[in-house]
Order: sequence, then C-alpha cells, then structure tokens
Amino acid sequence: MNNRIKELRAKYNLTQLELAKEVNVRRETIVFLEKGKYNPSLKLAHDISKVFKLKIEEVFIFDTDDYKG
Amino acid sequence: MKKTKRILVLTSVLIMAVVWGFIILERRTELFKGLDLFIFILTIVIGVIAFIMAIKKDKEEKEGLPAYDELSTRIKYKSGYYAYLASMYMWLFIFLLKDKFPDTETMLGGGILLSALISVIAKYIVKQKFNE
Repeated sequence: MNNRIKELRAKYNLTQLELAKEVNVRRETIVFLEKGKYNPSLKLAHDISKVFKLKIEEVFIFDTDDYKG
Repeated sequence: MKKTKRILVLTSVLIMAVVWGFIILERRTELFKGLDLFIFILTIVIGVIAFIMAIKKDKEEKEGLPAYDELSTRIKYKSGYYAYLASMYMWLFIFLLKDKFPDTETMLGGGILLSALISVIAKYIVKQKFNE
C-alpha cells in the first residue's frame, strides 16, 4: 500500500514530530509509514486522513497487486 | 515511558552498578578473565543499552509523544516471539555445554544475561526488516 503522507506533510508544512503528535503515535511510526514499511490500522489511517482533511483513499493508495501471491 | 517503568530501569542500572562495584572492590587488582570478563562486558553492554533506551523514551515523552503505539506494540510482540525461540536454543546449548561452566550460578546468570542480549538483538533485527 502506497501513501501520500510525505507529500501532504510538505504541503501542510508539518514536521514528522508534529504529525505524530496530532495522531498520537511515535515519530518512528510516521517514518515507517512514509517509507511504506508499515500498513496502519484503520483508526490510524482515519486519523491521518483527518489531519489532511482528505478521505482515507486519497491518502492511502491500495494496490491489489501488492497482495497477489 | 511511564514513570514506574523509568524508575524500574534506573533502579536496575543502579543495582547493577553497585553489585559490580562491590565485585571490583573485592577483587581489587585481580583482573577479570575468561568467562568472568565476558559476563562483566555483557552486563555493562546491556546496562548501557537499557540506559540509552530509557533516556530516548523519556525525551520522546517530554516532546508529548506516547511511549507506545500500534507499531511499537507490533514490533514488541514480533521480536518477543523471535527472542523466545532463540533463547530456547541458547538454553539448549548452555545445558549441552554445562561442563564448561565453573558453577551453576555462572551458568544461569550468563544465560539470563544472554537472553536479555538476544531480546535486544531480536528487536533491532525486527525493526530493520519490518515490512508489513
């Protein structure tokens, strides 16, 4: 699953620390999300999307090819 | 990091420092060698790692970040599983090589310290390879 967190963060002029505080996670989690190494829970995805005032699917791009065996 | 956990880590480090202080004082000029030296270094390494981790968590908490979240919990469970498996093999080897240890206390103490080291290594590896 890809995401636009880094791009949106730059657009909103937010640091990783500020975004982490907004959604109440550790900064490390934002780093992992931006690198695409971690797929967040629905709640975290919802919270992040809410910060950017967008829908979940506009922030997180679900690619079905990633889940094909 | 929660206050109680911080106190626990600091107390453990202090106890370790006092115990080793007494051992060094008792031995005076007698140098550590062989297994003693290995256990001594292992204790110091684990103590330093625990101290650095405690300071790091404390700093994050002061910045207003939570000590744990969904990713850290996931990493903890995953690394815990690997550390458990690795520790089982380690204890197996320790019991196979039990004749090589001078006494039971050294064998058990060394095993416990190695278990702690394994858990630190497992957490590091899981973090580096995490992709899910």
